[in-house]
Amino acid sequence: MKLTGLRALVVVMSSIALLSVIGLGANLESIASNELVPEISAAAGMALADSYAATMTEAELEALAVDGRTIGLRTAASGALAILYRDKTEDEIMAILKGDADPMIRAAAIEPAQVYLVSVTSDDEDFKLTDYLKDIAINGETHEMRLAAAKAYYFMSRKSLKAADLEEQAVTNDSDELAYAAGETLSGFYLSFNPKTQAELEDLAINGSSEGLRVAGEIALSSLLIKSDLTALDFETTLLSIAGTKSAEYRGAYKIALANRYAQ
Amino acid sequence: MKKTVLVLLGLLLVFSALAIAQGYETMPADAKIIPLGQADTPYADAQPGVRGGIFYCATISNPKKWNDVTAHETSTTQYTGLMLEGLISTNPVTVAIEPELAKSWDVSEDGLTITFHLRQGLKWSDGEPFTADDVIFSFNDLYLNEDVETDTRDILVLPDDSYPVVTKIDDYTVQVTTSVVFRPILNSMGANILPKHALAQYVHKLNPDVPVGTFNSAWGLDTDPSELVGMGPFIVESYTPDQNVIMRRNPYYYHYDPNGVQLPYFDKYVVLTVASQDVSLLKFRNGELDALGIRAADVPILKSEEAQKDFTVLVNPDLPNYGTSWIGINEDIGLAEGTHDNERALFRTRDFRAALAHLVDKQAIIDSLFNGLAVPQWSPVSYLSPFYAGRDYYGGPVTEKDAVIFEYSLDKAAELLDGIGIVDRDGDGWRDYEDGTRVEIELNTNAGNTVREGVCLIVADRAAKIGLKLNFVPVDFNTLVNKLFASTGELIVLGLTGGPEPNNGANVYKSDGGLHFWHYSAADNPTEVEKKIDELLNAGVSTLDNDKAFEIYKEYQITLAKDDLGLVYTVNSAFTYAYYNKLGNGNLSSPVATPGGGGLADICYFK
Repeated sequence: MKLTGLRALVVVMSSIALLSVIGLGANLESIASNELVPEISAAAGMALADSYAATMTEAELEALAVDGRTIGLRTAASGALAILYRDKTEDEIMAILKGDADPMIRAAAIEPAQVYLVSVTSDDEDFKLTDYLKDIAINGETHEMRLAAAKAYYFMSRKSLKAADLEEQAVTNDSDELAYAAGETLSGFYLSFNPKTQAELEDLAINGSSEGLRVAGEIALSSLLIKSDLTALDFETTLLSIAGTKSAEYRGAYKIALANRYAQ
Repeated sequence: MKKTVLVLLGLLLVFSALAIAQGYETMPADAKIIPLGQADTPYADAQPGVRGGIFYCATISNPKKWNDVTAHETSTTQYTGLMLEGLISTNPVTVAIEPELAKSWDVSEDGLTITFHLRQGLKWSDGEPFTADDVIFSFNDLYLNEDVETDTRDILVLPDDSYPVVTKIDDYTVQVTTSVVFRPILNSMGANILPKHALAQYVHKLNPDVPVGTFNSAWGLDTDPSELVGMGPFIVESYTPDQNVIMRRNPYYYHYDPNGVQLPYFDKYVVLTVASQDVSLLKFRNGELDALGIRAADVPILKSEEAQKDFTVLVNPDLPNYGTSWIGINEDIGLAEGTHDNERALFRTRDFRAALAHLVDKQAIIDSLFNGLAVPQWSPVSYLSPFYAGRDYYGGPVTEKDAVIFEYSLDKAAELLDGIGIVDRDGDGWRDYEDGTRVEIELNTNAGNTVREGVCLIVADRAAKIGLKLNFVPVDFNTLVNKLFASTGELIVLGLTGGPEPNNGANVYKSDGGLHFWHYSAADNPTEVEKKIDELLNAGVSTLDNDKAFEIYKEYQITLAKDDLGLVYTVNSAFTYAYYNKLGNGNLSSPVATPGGGGLADICYFK
């Protein structure tokens, strides 16, 4: 992990550099705590999640996820909680998802909930899991509950999915969460059976006509960036140069890629 | 007093356990060195690793027992396979037979006697020495003991219905004699070797104090894991139903890496029991599993996270799994009942079967049902077998020079049907028999298998284009199997398992085979083609020369594919697997061996 070398950039990009603490030999925690470019701060937070999960208690993390001073700290805490929540029971996880906890805490329950959601059974002969999941994805109590169900819905539907169908569903769907999850799933097709070039993915992440399509571009683009030879410094530089511009999803792709480099 | 004694015993046990855990003081002279990373070896693409860590994988079934000899199911053998070793093994990269507990063997000139020279100085996981007595015990007192219920006896039976005679020459030499030459004998002698000192007590033949058949229930799930003993890389340490099986490193495992590091690298090997394959996939995505066998439908989901989560999705469209998928054409339809005369006569006509082969649009099947992750199939022998006829010589590269290809062609199919008088006689667009009855054939597969159902729909669609009416009717799996065995199905789409040894298909392809389900009456009245196949299968096992056997099996495969056509092959899914990149040597994963499915468990490590 190399976090130095931005001094030259600071000279030529002084206005942006004022917002940035990176390049000063800072460690991840410092970046997560002090960096003002939100994607860079959050990338550091994503990279910190594992160590936070290993060193902090659930109560400490829940407090930090809510009250953390920066997006980086809150992201680190939420990511660490997602790891600790894997040991929670189905009832506990669902209570968090449906409850009135802070969204950063509810977000931590989304991935752990998947295992329970795809395992739901019923004595009702007419019960169909995908219908059940779709209903929650539309009518669930909270955004996080709906998103967890939407992700599980597309996971369980994966055997019959085609890229063309997902491209439609990422634009028009029965809930925003379903459209988002369709976009997430679509990204995998762009990386396997229906490959797109980096330029196409960049365009999609910036100009996609819906959040779902832009998310598809974001995730697939982040994968290409991670597999590229670009360094953390390269990603930091890009994020500095596009701060507040392009689209959240385009910046998100670089955030994910930067988090990967930070974690190495 | 009692308490004191118990405490003392406890201390003794602790000391004893510590002594066992120490393992070999120095590497045994006959240790097996796995040449990881060494050029010009099958392991050139591997790396020597470091010891430590806990490997996690998952299964959807609890084990049934720890008794490998009586096990029928992989839910058991996935563990016993890690606990035990045979005299020989197959290389996880090349699939070639190689020395295992036997360091070498000699074959007599007449091919009837094999002398195995065992590795010396090896110990079982409890520290007891491994000797020829264990080999004799395993074969003579277990596998060849009629009191023991074991499938292994079936692969030891010789063409003249006798069994190999296994004799101890000395503590480290065992001789196996057969009444006739039987090429797969070496393969058969790879059956796992069991510890006599731990299991003889359960064998009535050796211990008349126990009832006949006691061994069949030995090493059940209620056995204290501390009583389980093996020569393999891992030994079961604990079992919690519906949760996990934890295996620990065998301190006396005899595999070493080129640096002299004793294998396996992992401290523990944990198999989580999960509710479904979907849960396995989610756990893998969460980082709770280190490796996972996946399906084509899982690829996009994993690809979206592959880079971010630092794992590898292995997708090799050119590397199919073992096994065959086919359309079975029942040549005995209505024979017992005296019905279906038209259908039976048609199905027994080679050109009808060839026409059907031309109607299998394999590329459409591969593209639409497998997302491109499958290959066309034409032979009953698995693509990966060194005997696969798509190779030019035994174990050579696959060139498909001699492949029997019935390319998808409506014209050729129509021409063949025209040639046998199956034409549209009444102008309704459907082909008829000579007597004017419309040809209308039922096509079955097991309901719920979306891929097979898709194959049926594609074939029926293509057949309709040339006026051949195939009615697709999905049925329950057990009903389908009953149809197969009762010869009441017409066309059935199903699959068979496979492996490197062609003779393992003898029960299917021999005219009197128990699974010769498309023409059971051939047992009494084989066709000339079936007689030839019988002869070729017998010839294939009657030479110890693999090159000669290859030529025989090549002719066998071509004959089956070109002239018999009782089974019309469709496509075979490609190998797909996923592992986290922290797993060293995961790159060697293949249909033959994976870190989580066996074969690589001893050489994978955490970077």
